[in-house]
Amino acid sequence: MARSTAMKAAGLILALLIFTFFSLAASSSNNQIQILNAERRIDLSSHIVKVFLTLKVENVGTSPASEIFLAFPPSQADQLALVKAQAAIGKKKKKSYVHLDVNPTQLPDAPNGTKYFSISLLNPLSSGETATLEVLYILTHSLEPFPAEISQLESQLVYFRDSALMLSPYHIKQQTTFIKTPSTKVESFTRVEPTKFAGRELKYGPYEDRPPYSFSPVIVHLENNSPFAVVEELLREVEISHWGNLQITEHYKLVHAGARHKGVFSRVDYQSRASVKGASSFKHLLASLPPRVHSVYYRDEIGNISSSHLRTDYRKSELEIEPRYPLFGGWKATFVIGYGLPLEDFLFESPDGKRYLNFSFGCPLAQTVVNKLTIKVVLPEGSKDPSAAVPYPVEQRLETKYSYLDVVGRTVLVLEKKNVVPEHITPFQVYYTFKPIFMLAEPLMLASVYFLFFMACVAYLQIDISIRK
Amino acid sequence: MGSKAAAITSPVPVTWYPTLAIFMLAIGLIVSASFFIYEATSSRRNRSLAKELTTGAVASFFLGFGSLFMLLASGVYV
Repeated sequence: MARSTAMKAAGLILALLIFTFFSLAASSSNNQIQILNAERRIDLSSHIVKVFLTLKVENVGTSPASEIFLAFPPSQADQLALVKAQAAIGKKKKKSYVHLDVNPTQLPDAPNGTKYFSISLLNPLSSGETATLEVLYILTHSLEPFPAEISQLESQLVYFRDSALMLSPYHIKQQTTFIKTPSTKVESFTRVEPTKFAGRELKYGPYEDRPPYSFSPVIVHLENNSPFAVVEELLREVEISHWGNLQITEHYKLVHAGARHKGVFSRVDYQSRASVKGASSFKHLLASLPPRVHSVYYRDEIGNISSSHLRTDYRKSELEIEPRYPLFGGWKATFVIGYGLPLEDFLFESPDGKRYLNFSFGCPLAQTVVNKLTIKVVLPEGSKDPSAAVPYPVEQRLETKYSYLDVVGRTVLVLEKKNVVPEHITPFQVYYTFKPIFMLAEPLMLASVYFLFFMACVAYLQIDISIRK
Repeated sequence: MGSKAAAITSPVPVTWYPTLAIFMLAIGLIVSASFFIYEATSSRRNRSLAKELTTGAVASFFLGFGSLFMLLASGVYV
């Protein structure tokens, strides 16, 4: 009797211990990891903000950790275009980098709407071990022009808002933030001691022993005259023809997203000293196209725009375009760029018999942010089972397009993505099945039209429509 | 991706398109000329439907393929 109650008690205590262990493990994963050293380098040289984080993390808990969380304030999380992470393996000369998966997650007790991303480690970090992670994240639309309206003669000044202390769910032992500015002119910056500004670098830190979720907002008011080229909408249409050509048509709606231009535009002033009179404007755009491109055209609603240069190479082609007018703050330009590419560079056959198109996702214009990118891949008539393999989350849907010599229409696979930056330029694939015999449909359609004509002639000559015999 | 995947090209080399277009259209027009000559020179009783059909079929085959290659050679990749 006593033994059974003792056993029951032991069982109860064991269950209680297991329960507390699991609850502690689930809720206090934040207490497991500690960041020994965090170095953050923010690059503000262009209107796309690039932040490089080097984190040295240590597992101070008891159980192995397989993910590390990154925290972002909600306003910054909306402007986040890309988060990439890699782990450094080896030391000094034998250093190599391994790419790690980063996914957005949610944690239950997030203060003030903090958004999280979780980095999945390759090998779980056991207790007492340290690891070095490098994270790159890119923010768009984060530089707010202030003053919001400038005249032609003024330089463009912008606000950059961030925190001197890195927002993190972990305790950070030592952290430093370096901000690289495009010029030596910085109007003002918030001081969070120790702060130092020398040349083009603003240094916040080092700060020791900060608790999790510590945040110290700073505002840096700096001069940034780099071209604020934003494409509001980009529609890229890729038409595949099995007769040997890939036809690309790109429709751009370009806008200068910096400080709005107020007052007059003096062409005389602009052409005399453009570096002073119109410092924040831009007039050239560079598009990187694949090699062996042909039949390139650049036109808008009015007609052809002749101010463009195409330089081809065996590795790449560069199209330098100049819109009809230089773009000042708030000014827009709409144009179409089209070109053809040889089919054998992009269409391949996979081992399971399906055909796939290997093309690059993103915008060919350098240093531009695309607010909404739509890629339409028009597959030839008779293609079935289209599917896409894209390295980023995109919205997909199917449409039909009627083009040359079409009877049933061509299947179009539409991919949409918002907030695209040049770092998104990577290849993606579109798979489909196609029986080569369907290619004969087009010439046979043309031949049957001619045959009908000849038979109509025969019928006309055989019919006797004379009234009088 | 593994080993190099096989690139898919057009069934007819692209550089042949203009030559093929000219030759096929020329042959097609010659055969259709012979068709119309036959129609014009024979009377209704002497005509043979079989000859008309074969000449028409051969002419439309060459004209059809010829106009396809002409479209491809001028840059309309159908």
